[in-house]
Parts: sequence; C-alpha cells; structure tokens
Amino acid sequence: MKRTEPPQFATRMLEHCTPADRHEVLSGDLLEEFRSGRSEAWYWRQVFAACAVSWTESLRARIPLFVFALIWSMLAPAWKVFIDGIESAPIIDRILDPLGILGAPPLLAGWLLLNGSFLWAGMLVYILTLSACGKVFRRNEVRRPFLLVPFVYAWVFGAWTFLCMLDWTTPFENGTFPATPLGQITGLGALEDAMRIPYIIALLAVFWNVIPRSKHAALSEAEMEQADSAAQSDPVALIANFDPFAVKRFFALMVGAGVINAMIAGFLLCGLPESHSPTLTSLLIRAVIYVAVGALAGVGGAWIYWKNPASPFRENPPIPFPHFALVCATAWVWVPCMIIFSEQVSPAAALVAMTGALILANGLRSVTASVFVPAQHDTSYLAPEEAEIFAESLYRAPHEVHGYLIAICVYAAGCALATRSNLTAAALLALGAFLFAWKRTFVQDKVLESSKVYKRGALRLALIAIPAVLVTIWALLDGVAHRNHLAEVNMALADNGTSANDGAQQKATDQASTNGVGGYESVILWPLPEKKQIIPPLTAQESLLAPGTTRPLIIPFDGPYWYIQPPNENPGPKAHQARGTPLGADIESSNSVPLTMEAHQTLGTAIHIARCREIQVGIENRDNKAGVIAIAVLLTDTASPEKPALYLGQQPIVSTEPEHFSFKTMPASETLYFAVPESTKIRKFNEINVMLLSDVEHALIAPKIAIRQFKLFPR
Amino acid sequence: MLLLAVIHLGDEAYGVPISRQLEASRGRDVSVGSVYAALERLEAKGLVTSSLGDPTPERGGKAKRYFRITKEGLRQVHETRRVLTKLWQVLPELRLGSR
Repeated sequence: MKRTEPPQFATRMLEHCTPADRHEVLSGDLLEEFRSGRSEAWYWRQVFAACAVSWTESLRARIPLFVFALIWSMLAPAWKVFIDGIESAPIIDRILDPLGILGAPPLLAGWLLLNGSFLWAGMLVYILTLSACGKVFRRNEVRRPFLLVPFVYAWVFGAWTFLCMLDWTTPFENGTFPATPLGQITGLGALEDAMRIPYIIALLAVFWNVIPRSKHAALSEAEMEQADSAAQSDPVALIANFDPFAVKRFFALMVGAGVINAMIAGFLLCGLPESHSPTLTSLLIRAVIYVAVGALAGVGGAWIYWKNPASPFRENPPIPFPHFALVCATAWVWVPCMIIFSEQVSPAAALVAMTGALILANGLRSVTASVFVPAQHDTSYLAPEEAEIFAESLYRAPHEVHGYLIAICVYAAGCALATRSNLTAAALLALGAFLFAWKRTFVQDKVLESSKVYKRGALRLALIAIPAVLVTIWALLDGVAHRNHLAEVNMALADNGTSANDGAQQKATDQASTNGVGGYESVILWPLPEKKQIIPPLTAQESLLAPGTTRPLIIPFDGPYWYIQPPNENPGPKAHQARGTPLGADIESSNSVPLTMEAHQTLGTAIHIARCREIQVGIENRDNKAGVIAIAVLLTDTASPEKPALYLGQQPIVSTEPEHFSFKTMPASETLYFAVPESTKIRKFNEINVMLLSDVEHALIAPKIAIRQFKLFPR
Repeated sequence: MLLLAVIHLGDEAYGVPISRQLEASRGRDVSVGSVYAALERLEAKGLVTSSLGDPTPERGGKAKRYFRITKEGLRQVHETRRVLTKLWQVLPELRLGSR
C-alpha cells in the first residue's frame, strides 16, 4: 500500500532549508506530485536538490559581501595600530586613572566607537559601491546592521580572543605589526590575519540578511509598496525642502567627515622621509602627494556621507557635490602639513589649522549664499504708502553671540598652546577662525553659470594648493631636522658620558636635558632620605662567608631608580635628578618610545657567589593598572675590569597580574624569590641590579613599584 | 526552455506542470527547486511575473505560484530564436559519423 503523505522529516527539512517565500509553494508542488504517484525516493531527491539549490543561491548572493569583507578587513591591522596609538596615549591614562573602576565604561565605549567607526566606514563603502553598480538596498534593512555592528564586533572579538587563548601558540603573543601602514595592510602574518578575522565575521554577520536587489526588482517592490501606502509621506522629501538649519547641520556633518577622513589619511600615510638629508625635489614630490592625499581623503569622506541613503542631499542637493568638494578641498589640503607639525609638537599646527578654516568658511559662505541668505520682506500685499513704511526696519542693537564664542575659542586656544596641547589649540583656533570668516565674508548676489562656477572653483583650489605644498615642504624639513637632532642626542647619551666633553654633543645633550621634547631624556629618582653611602656591616658579610652561617643578610634598598629610554643603557651625565619614591612619582614617556625602569643597589663590599643560596626581593606595589610586570635580577661585579654579571632570571609580580589585580589605595607588599646557582662564571658581586620588565600597558608610564629590601640567604 | 514552457502552459504555468513539461522535453528528472530558482532569476530580470493562487486541499492547503511571461520576456524569446535560426542557417551540413 502506497503512502499518501510524504516523509515528514523530508518535509521539515524542506521548510527549514529553503527560503520562506519559496518553501510553501515548493512543498505544495512536491506534495501534489507525490500524491499523483511519485515515490518516496523521488521526494527525498527533490528535497535534497531544493536544499542544495537554496544554499548555493544564498552563497552566490553574498559573494560581493564576502569579497568586500575580505578586502576591507585588509585595512584592519593599520586601523588596529592607529587605535593602539590612541589607547596608549598618556592623556587617556591621565583621564581614566583617577576614575579607577569607573573608567571602564567610558574606556569600553571609546573602544566600541573606534572599532565601530572602521566597520561603519566599511559598510558605507560597501553600500555605495553596490549602489553605484545598480544594486538597491532597503533603508530599513540597512539601519539595523549599522546600529548592531559595534556590539556584534565586541562579541566576535571576545569569542575570537578566547579561542586564540586556548591555543598556546596564540598569535597575539610576541607578535608585532610591520612598521609602515602599507606593510600592515599587505602583511599576511598570523597576527595581521588574527586581527582581520573578527572584522570579517562582524561584517558578514550584520549584512548576512541584507541582500541587495537589482533596480528592476526594487522598482516593482517600490510600486507595490506605493500602492499599499500611498498616503504615507516621504521623510526624505520633507527634509529636502532646504530647511536652513537642516542644511547647516548636514554641511557641518559633511565638512567634519571630510576633515576626519583627511586627518586619518594624514596620520596613516603622511610620514617623514626616511632619508636624513632629503633633496628638495623629493620633498616637493612628497608634499604634492600629501596635499593630494589630504584633498582626496577629505572628498572621499564627504562623498560617503553625501551619498548616504539617509542623506537629504542625495537626490536633490542644494549645490552639486563636485562644487562642494572643490570648495572644501581648499581646506583639506592643509590637513597633512598640520598633522606633520602636530607630530613635532609645533605651534605651527594651530596656525595652519586656522588658515584652512578661514579659507573653508570663506568658500562655503560664498557658494551656499543662495541657501543661507535671509529672504527679503515681501511688501507687495501692502498699499504703496504702507509698503514704504514697512520696507524700513527698526534699528536693533547687534546681538552677536558668535563674537563671544570666537573670544572664548581664542583664549582657550592660548591656554592649550601654553600647555603644549597643540591639536586642541588647532581645533579651537580653527573653530574661531571659521566663525569669524563665516560672519565677515561678503556674499555676492550675482549668480554665475555652472561652467564658470567650476572653473573658478578649480582655479581657487589650484592657487591655494601651491602655498599648501610649500608649507608642507616646510613641515617636512622641520620634521627631518627635529628627528636628526633627536638622533644626535641619543648618540650622545649612548656614549655613556665618555664623550660628554665633546663640544657639539655636549651642546645637544644640554639642550635635550633642559628643554627636551616636552620632558627630560632620562630621570634618576633617589629615595626620599638623604643619600647615604650604604656599606653593609662587614661583620654581616663576613658572616656570609663564614662556614656554618645560617642567618640571612637583610639589605634595605637605598639606591637610585633609573628611568631611561632605549637604546640608552644609562641615564647619562645630564639626567634630571629628583628625590622621591616610585610609589608617588608620575613618570611617563613624553614621546612614543617606551620607558625602562631599573633599580641599582651598591653593596660596597663584594659577596662571594658560592656563599649565597637565594636572594629574596621585597617590593611594594601601588600600581593600579592590571598587566604583566616581571622583575629581573642581575648580580654584577663592578670591581672587575670586565664588569661580569650573573642573570638570575625573572619573576612575575603577582599583585599586578589581571587575575589577581585589585585596586590599591595602600601599597601591597610582595616578595620574589631568585635562586643563585652554585657554579657560575663570576665568583663575587658587589651590586644588585633590578629591572622592571613591563608589558605594553606599562610601556609609556613607569609602574608605581618600589624595592623595599633584599634578603640574602647563605648556602 | 523555461520561458517556452511558461508560454506553452499559459494560465496554468506553475511549478508542477512546468517541471513535467521540462521532464518531457529533456527525458529525465528535473528538480522543482531549481526550476523555482531559475524562474525567480528570470523574474528579477523582468522576463516573467508571478502571482499566488488559492490554496487547494490536494496540495495540503498550500497555494500555487503562477508565472506569466512579460513583454520583455516575449521579446527576449523571439530574439533568441532569431539568433539561433541565423546560427543554424550558416552552419555547414553535418553528417553523422564523418570527421
């Protein structure tokens, strides 16, 4: 007897593995055929074939998404390096450290925002690229992924990090990115790929259900929707009536997007030449490229927002985008030189930003005159004699809030310049200059033909690009000179003070030590009590030597702490010296070179290695940043000409490790144990050197860890 | 082939008869799922349109999806026929078994 119902499992499989709009008619067709005499095997074959076809179609529809996610994620390592630079900036720690545990939410929000920005930019590029290829997205479908993507990324990143940590050969450990942005983008190492994968997964996850359709399909859908909801009004059409406030808001958004994009491009791509003495021709070529990069990146950033599906200017702009781009590019060409100046902590960055803002405001005010010029009073409906009366308006006292704002910007910029916050000063001065130029620009009533407008815009851009190139060359020259000067200083310091009497190097060292680049080249921190020549009691040391001694020798630490930067191995003769304890001193790197912290204890008299079994190092830890810090101990015999040393290895500080970390209001005491080998190359030592080996978190800020004492146990 | 089957079936062009027509023409089984996939691609190109019919008991209460050819689809069919005829006309006479 033949069954009248097909296999239930196959029907369920069909329902779950085929698209919702297809499985109903498909299962109806298969049921009809089955009841008309087809076999169960035929039914199963049809179900498997339908599932395979659906999966293939589903994957094929997402091929552009796969390709785009792969391409966009190639940029991820460069973006990651950029984010790391922001996260490790000393100002972030200065802001977040006092907040303690309360600093976690803003830190997380900042992290989400930074990673979300990268993904949002990618999603916009994807949508606009496919839109340019004739594909159409539903606005409602796109909005949801935009909102979700930072959170999806956070979840994926967490899961991916956990998976990587399961494997002991995790790519996050001991890996470094290539030095240049191009190397980071093209690098295919394990670390780069590990950074890319969460971005790929996040992009695929949020866009999985957003399938672009052809314009024909979208048109027919739109017609159907129009028939369903003819009474509904189009919000975009409503906004596109050029409400001046909305227009100002969107212009501000697009100019801001362009500036941010140009700044990102500037930070990533506009570096100093590698040569120590570049030729003027190479500098000119480099400057032209940088100016073009600034302009193109700015135009690209504004274009993304201009063509955004939510933008009211997309269909019916108040001015054509090319015209807007020509005007704004005159400001964006100044961004690369501003970045180069700001990297040298030069106040010229603020002046350049102000110049760009003046030019931008002047250009924008002129081209948007038709949108923002106030409408004239219409008195035509009045009688002639009344019209004359009402045509004249009463005098009103000027109410210029912008004047106060400009003054505040100028004063605040002055304060920022005094504290060397040049980027803040640049932003404030640029805002003040923009407001001033916006209010003071004379608007012409004459309307030019579009061809003349473009010609005039292009000519203006060309004329402004020339000084921008010259200023960029100046910035590059200044940057190279600055770098060469730093190299000279490092060489002088690395010379261990032996060449301190040399004229030029001495001069350079003097300048660096007194002025430096926003700080000191190195620091020596002495303990708070007056420095005393500590010579451990001879009897105690002799007791170590004496056979049968069992009591340990305790040496309280009273030596100096060194804060130096590689490649220097010692502070040099002109180091800044101060008294204090690391538990209370805030010492941080004033540039991007990590700090090295060392503590040196001189014993005065040598101790025989053979008589010492173990050294215990007592420390006090008041560092409130979780991370991995290890202490390494080196025993040195400075009395011998070769200064031989014995490395005792390194031990982690447990109270700082993330799993044992707690916020400390009082210093936490901890003891680290170092075994001394019986047979070594050196026979005695008279100095104990302790090195604090920090992780990335503590690379730029010295840990607040002090050495309390050493306890030497006899063998 | 699909477009010809849809034209041939007229108002009765839905999954089952289209598949049977194709099976009869090709002489082997046809996957109904792939027929729908191909018809949906043609619909996206604007060559056919579809509409849902009423649910019927012999189909377990499931509706039929009827397909109709559009003007553009008809034009494409004629164009394809014209091109194929032209190509066949310029071919030399083929003999079975000859090299």
